[in-house]
Amino acid sequence: MNRLIPDSEIRLWIYHYFVDSGRVPSPVEVAAHFGLAPSDVEDRLRRLQDDADALVLLPGTSYIWMAEPFSAVPTSFLVRSGPRQWWGNCIWDALAILALVGTGGSVLTACPHSGQPLLVSATKRGLEEAQGIVHFAVPAREWWRDIGFT
Amino acid sequence: MLLFRSEDDISAWCERRHITRGAVFDLARLWGLATVWYGDRLDSAWRRRTIPERQAILDGVGLTGSFWRLTSS
Repeated sequence: MNRLIPDSEIRLWIYHYFVDSGRVPSPVEVAAHFGLAPSDVEDRLRRLQDDADALVLLPGTSYIWMAEPFSAVPTSFLVRSGPRQWWGNCIWDALAILALVGTGGSVLTACPHSGQPLLVSATKRGLEEAQGIVHFAVPAREWWRDIGFT
Repeated sequence: MLLFRSEDDISAWCERRHITRGAVFDLARLWGLATVWYGDRLDSAWRRRTIPERQAILDGVGLTGSFWRLTSS
């Protein structure tokens, strides 16, 4: 039975779990939901990272760090939509979360130099309030060399 | 990718951290990039895009030039 569950189905479930709950499921929770052995889930999560480029695991573990654009750990980019909230890995990812959930909301962050709080909000139709200006420090060809820094 | 209050803040931040100033643009363009780049993440048929497909997205929102090339060739 386990072989009938494709990795892609697990990937999609993780994403919807993130959207609905605002947090990432643990490997044990994934295993319980699909009726899989924890060791099988760990293998699948590694495949989703290494082969499919669908997830990023915390180094040396099978715990999910990023399901881009979502971050499993707190960041400087808090995204809110109604009662739900998430963290984006960067301002790009934070905007993508708002677009993905499609219900409108806001991104709260702060200028890394001045410390001034910055608010970006969007509705279902698109960007609404847009404070600030974006800086990409890393050239595109190097984005995946150190995804945590990027 | 970070959000700054102003271009002056970007320059000062780069100088303090000894980081070469990269690419700077407004949130409207980033919104356009974010919606396309991640737009299929909740699709059951999602798959990793090829480099040419990724490059086409960057080109499509006007992010062209050497900084935005995904390969060195």
